[in-house]
Amino acid sequence: MADRGLIGRELGTVRFPVERGKLAELARSFDAPEPLWSDREAAREAGFDDIPAPPTATVVADLWREHGALDGAIRLGLDTTNLLHGEASWQFFAPVRCGDELTARSSVVDVNERVGKRGGAMTLVAIETSYTNQHGEQVATRRDVVVEKGGNSSAR
Amino acid sequence: MRADTHAVPTSPIPLAEGDTLPEWRFGPLTRTDIVRYAGASGDFNPIHHDEPLAIAAGLPSVFGIGMMHAGMLGQRLSAWVGPHNICAFSVRFEGQVWPDDVLTFSGTVIEVESSTHEVSLAHVELSVARQDGEQVLSGKASVSTAPHEARSDGGG
Repeated sequence: MADRGLIGRELGTVRFPVERGKLAELARSFDAPEPLWSDREAAREAGFDDIPAPPTATVVADLWREHGALDGAIRLGLDTTNLLHGEASWQFFAPVRCGDELTARSSVVDVNERVGKRGGAMTLVAIETSYTNQHGEQVATRRDVVVEKGGNSSAR
Repeated sequence: MRADTHAVPTSPIPLAEGDTLPEWRFGPLTRTDIVRYAGASGDFNPIHHDEPLAIAAGLPSVFGIGMMHAGMLGQRLSAWVGPHNICAFSVRFEGQVWPDDVLTFSGTVIEVESSTHEVSLAHVELSVARQDGEQVLSGKASVSTAPHEARSDGGG
């Protein structure tokens, strides 16, 4: 059953660099044709002070988490073989660029149970992450909804 | 090389209701594409790269990582309106993406808030669809936009 007692549970804090190699890897995996996503000179020519981060670049925090992208789910004891990513949303407050050093702090903000299309129970866990840069400025928040399928949630 | 490469804006651009994201297609998706994003992002959930494990879980094959097409969509939005002009970006994963899929990325401005300021907010509806038309992702963004033409009246 959905355990609403998880609301407020801290899921750790991680500090990570927004680095050119990771931004280039992301740009290549996205098949981006514009050189400015990995080339500092191209970014400066385009009028940016450094390589700009695309909206989902905050995923590179996962490299620095013990269990990677599944870190939150594993810490919560969710069944990762029956896990889906339902939603992700970001709010941006200040630019993020190559060279920034971000601190990401995650916690559980909501837990709900719903009946799926095929009648099985699903547990929905909302995780919010706040990103602060090296100047102490909050640059973004991200909210993820992960969905654990199956009626016997092991969330604890 | 793609012919539609254009300058990525630094400042807010003029946007009007009905304006659309420059057309973008990706695919056919290969397992190598999935692994390239897994490495870039740190998402090593084996269901996305370990075919025997995916088949044992009852799936026809591995399937695409939602954050990969979400990230691609975010980067295309950034290339269009400028990475530092995105205030909010959200995605809901509606369906799975499979090897050999060809994805189409689209976006339409559905509302521009009226404002007396130099910059106002435009709301964009976003979508990623498979070759059979099935929508696999629906999304929204709010972006800063500039007025269509400079006003010479000096009023306000």
